[in-house]
Amino acid sequence: MSQQGQDAKFFQRGKIEEFRAELHAAEAKDKKFVKRKTVLKKIVANITMGTDMSPLFTDVVQCLGTPLLEIKKMVYLFLVSYGRSKPDQIHLVIPNFLQDCNDRNPLIRALAIRTMSYIPIPVVTDALSDNLRHALKDRDPYVRKTAAICVAKLYTADPRKAEKGGFVELLRDLMLDSNATVVANAVAALSEIGDRQDGVIFKLNLATANKLLAAIPESSEWGQIYILDSLLRYVPERHADAEMMAERIIVQLQHGNSAVILTTIKALLYLMNYMENRQLIDYICKKMGPPLVTLLSSGPEVQYVALRNILLIIQRRPTVLKNDVRVFFCKYNDPIYVKLAKLEIMYRLARAENAKEVLAELQEYASEVDLDFVRKAVRSIGRLAIKVEAAADDCIQALLSLIETKVTYVVQEAVIVIKDIFRRYPGKYEGIIPTLCENLDALDEPEAKASMVWILGQFANIIDNADELLDDLCYTFLEESTEVQLALLTAVVKLFVYKSKADKAKELVHKVLKWATEEADNPDLRDRGFMYWRMLAVNPTVAGEIVLSDKPAITTDSDRMDRGALDQLLLHTGTLGSIYHKNPETFIRHAAGKALKDSPALNAHSRAVLVPLARVQLPSAMPIVVPGPGPMEPQAVSSPVAPAPPLKNDSSPPASDQPVSVPANGVSSDQYPEDEEGDEDDEESSNRQTNNLDPYSNLDNAFGGYLADEPRPMAGGRHGDEDDLLF
Amino acid sequence: MALDGIIILDNTGRPIIQSGFRSSTTAYPLLHIDAVNNALQKADRSADVDPVIYVAPYNSANPSACCHVEVGDMRFLCPISGDVDPLFAFAFLQTFIDILREYLGTVSAATLKDNFDIVYQLFEETLDAGGHPLTTYSNALRDIVIPPSLLNKLLNVTGTNFNSTINSGFGAGAAAGPFSSPLPWRKTGVRYNNNEIYFDVVEELRAIVNKNGLVTFSNVRGRIEANTKLSGTPDCSLNFTNSQVISDCALHPCVRFQRWNRDKILSFVPPDGRFTLMDYTYSPNPLPSQSQVMLAKNNVALPFVIKANIELEDSGGSFDVLLTSRYSTHALENVVAEMHLGQGAGGIRCSVSRGSGGGGFINAGGSRNLETGGASNGASWSFDSRRMVLRWEIPIVSPSSSWSLHGSFSTANRVPRPSHVIRVRFDISSHTYSALKVDQLKVVNAKESYKPYKGVRGRSSGDVEWRW
Repeated sequence: MSQQGQDAKFFQRGKIEEFRAELHAAEAKDKKFVKRKTVLKKIVANITMGTDMSPLFTDVVQCLGTPLLEIKKMVYLFLVSYGRSKPDQIHLVIPNFLQDCNDRNPLIRALAIRTMSYIPIPVVTDALSDNLRHALKDRDPYVRKTAAICVAKLYTADPRKAEKGGFVELLRDLMLDSNATVVANAVAALSEIGDRQDGVIFKLNLATANKLLAAIPESSEWGQIYILDSLLRYVPERHADAEMMAERIIVQLQHGNSAVILTTIKALLYLMNYMENRQLIDYICKKMGPPLVTLLSSGPEVQYVALRNILLIIQRRPTVLKNDVRVFFCKYNDPIYVKLAKLEIMYRLARAENAKEVLAELQEYASEVDLDFVRKAVRSIGRLAIKVEAAADDCIQALLSLIETKVTYVVQEAVIVIKDIFRRYPGKYEGIIPTLCENLDALDEPEAKASMVWILGQFANIIDNADELLDDLCYTFLEESTEVQLALLTAVVKLFVYKSKADKAKELVHKVLKWATEEADNPDLRDRGFMYWRMLAVNPTVAGEIVLSDKPAITTDSDRMDRGALDQLLLHTGTLGSIYHKNPETFIRHAAGKALKDSPALNAHSRAVLVPLARVQLPSAMPIVVPGPGPMEPQAVSSPVAPAPPLKNDSSPPASDQPVSVPANGVSSDQYPEDEEGDEDDEESSNRQTNNLDPYSNLDNAFGGYLADEPRPMAGGRHGDEDDLLF
Repeated sequence: MALDGIIILDNTGRPIIQSGFRSSTTAYPLLHIDAVNNALQKADRSADVDPVIYVAPYNSANPSACCHVEVGDMRFLCPISGDVDPLFAFAFLQTFIDILREYLGTVSAATLKDNFDIVYQLFEETLDAGGHPLTTYSNALRDIVIPPSLLNKLLNVTGTNFNSTINSGFGAGAAAGPFSSPLPWRKTGVRYNNNEIYFDVVEELRAIVNKNGLVTFSNVRGRIEANTKLSGTPDCSLNFTNSQVISDCALHPCVRFQRWNRDKILSFVPPDGRFTLMDYTYSPNPLPSQSQVMLAKNNVALPFVIKANIELEDSGGSFDVLLTSRYSTHALENVVAEMHLGQGAGGIRCSVSRGSGGGGFINAGGSRNLETGGASNGASWSFDSRRMVLRWEIPIVSPSSSWSLHGSFSTANRVPRPSHVIRVRFDISSHTYSALKVDQLKVVNAKESYKPYKGVRGRSSGDVEWRW
């Protein structure tokens, strides 16, 4: 099929002069324009290779009159590449443009409009305006759909002109066009304009939204995506509206295109915030599972995007995929990014019922070759033990057998997680401490070493030779990393509290305190050293009570995202934001922020955690953007956010935007049984509500909590042995 | 929701062709090319590079991300900026690659260079400079971008009349202008002398078997590929005798979703040519059930069993693997079993043999036997010392036969660390796991009635991870 094309020979660098001569020669005796075609092909090939062909501008433009579509296309291609850089010569082409805008062939009319819209030079945009207005009402749908997109381009070139010219209104009219593709493109253009921070806001009312839905079956998949995506611009005022709409789009979950599926899910998740009917919500959740699983039989790229999204979705709607943990079992040949994403989901889906299966898989992964993956797998075993109490015994057994393998990184990872398990189940597994002590020499990474030291200190009363072991570890005290030094310091203090009579402990604590206060460079270490020293000097008994006080229980709940942040992120399902688990306005400068909008139909739960869009004050260094005319809704208009890291602004959002800060657990947890799992979280949400004035503080917490791999204490958010000192 | 463009790189990481990138600076595509090449260089395996690469902003421009896929000897890049759905990019890339395949037959760096003007036109017609996908249905595309084969055929046949035809914008055979059809996926005025419609039912089994030989996960995903050559605007309806065996269907947009949900009848006006009518999952246990016990029963019976006896010792190991077909009627074809032996493996000594049933054909030493026909088709083994993978190939595993591979290997490290996995892939022709059966296909054409020739075929493949 392919042997006909032999254009590879055109891929050789040619000289401008030669091409010019060839073009001139082609003007005479050019039967069927073959010569011109050949030269133009060479020129286009050179553009591809990055050679600057712009000096040929006047010569190439001459060919525009040639009555052959193929040549016209190539000349237009040339114009698109260099038109912008020739503001002084572009007027030469305007007559041709105008002529082509009125050609009887719709393809040529569309081509002319499209090319003009790519050249943001005033002369061209002036000429475009009138023709574009005609094109938007052209009898041919191909021209109309092309013109719709061109409006967005015109808007980019000159927003105010486009608004004055009434193009936005014309686009709105096109949403009612009889041709589905035209409708979809109008929606795409309006969305593009609406996503600009200075753009005209694009909102849908119920009637228009319904009209758009009617166009879905006949649209191309891209059109469907635009239309489905635009549903997020519709704010349901009544539960019934949201429910009706969800019922209409749910069939799209059967679409063959992965992007359509994910966009449908995004729209459904959004609409569910405004629903009341439990049965319908459950039904939708059930329906969302299979298509998500389907995405996993696609290529690894699609799988990756799907997995990252699934991770968000199951945190917000735990019933989705509840029974499908097997689908996420890793295969040996999966790319590492897929494996890591699956691992995280397996952990999230683990419950008492499936813990055995999950554990068996994790053990399998722990014997694999890839270092990073093995570590994550071992860590997941520990997290599983903490999350699912029923599985804790088996997990400990699994960890012990892993320690027996003597593979150093496995042992280290195991020690780290076992420390957390000790904290989660005090008094239950201390019997394995001797096994851990046998592997003391294998630990060379700070985190593992610090964990082991914590264990030695915390249980110095039941480890007979704790003093000897700690003494050994202290030989290299001054060379250790700060993490280990801090742990050692606390551990020897604990040892001393337990065994204040023993000479060895006395000697050791004295030695370490002296090092910490006199020889250490690190201020944290020094401060902590002084503090212990004084405490022990003033009142050893009280010091003992403080050092060995009850620690806050450890849970895995805090590494789940905060509900309000989730709601907001899920508006970006399938987009970059959901891949990075960050709101796009924090990493994309001109992105319009999205947030759930309040309406009478918004369910109380979502409202309680509503994250308002803050209007961030422009730092003076930022270019001043002229706000567009027309009504501006504070909630809908995003303001530019300075590049990451998100600035902690002082300006509080206007009063109307403030969330109704009702402590969530008080409101209605009883009427949302599905959320029961999700709501443990909300019990502690009261402390979160207080920082709602700064929307980012909320998010930072959420991501911090998510990104950190290890379980954290329930309150305070500080980790490990540090919180020995908190009280 | 916009894609910034497409860049196609060859296997050395140099760009072959790229779309316009008109709304960005010239440095923008280069930035993405560099980002992808850097990431590829850093990774041990190119397959392990994140498919969505974050591209740091340069010169105060917006940060962006680059979605990329490997295709044959090339890599297709799709930079996105703003909060765009990466799946949108991947779906578009896949569509674009499918279009290229349809236009050029094979998609490779060579064919792309040979037809770069076609590729360029396709860029123009499929992706608007603002990043909106335009026309991607090949039925409509063929009207505005003439495929090279058709172009040449037309040149040969029509000679001088050709220009006017093209210039008026009407593709060959189309009675009306492009996009006049109310259905975006089908053009009007299609005519065939012989009306035909074919369906291929293709199913793939994926499974994981644990150490104890129990299937921990299995899934059969099937799809129906159609090839239609029907005149006019045919309205087809297809139903199955056992539609209860399939679930989780993903349908081509031409299928009337509601009708399928209500009556389990695929009712559609097909595009012209090849397309995927539907995807589905085979569920052996049709009763919808959520309980774990039932899910376990939902596993599909695997067509073979493996008995692996692998002993690891200091600096090496030995293995004895027996593969037995469980099928009594169908042969497994192109069976490939692979095992990763770990870093520093070498000194492989192997012998492959055929066990029960048949003449005990032995073919040792890794030589390939190309003999065909008969039951004693030779198996062979080879070792890829770059990927450290031992590969065992058996062209045909006839029903109920068994095959064995035994041998030893040595490793540079004292402790050998092979993967505890044997990955087995195979094909089965004229077979589907689901035994999905077409009951009836009706084709109704409003203008003229005809009786098309119809055909249905089945084909299966599998990819099983067997742990030991």
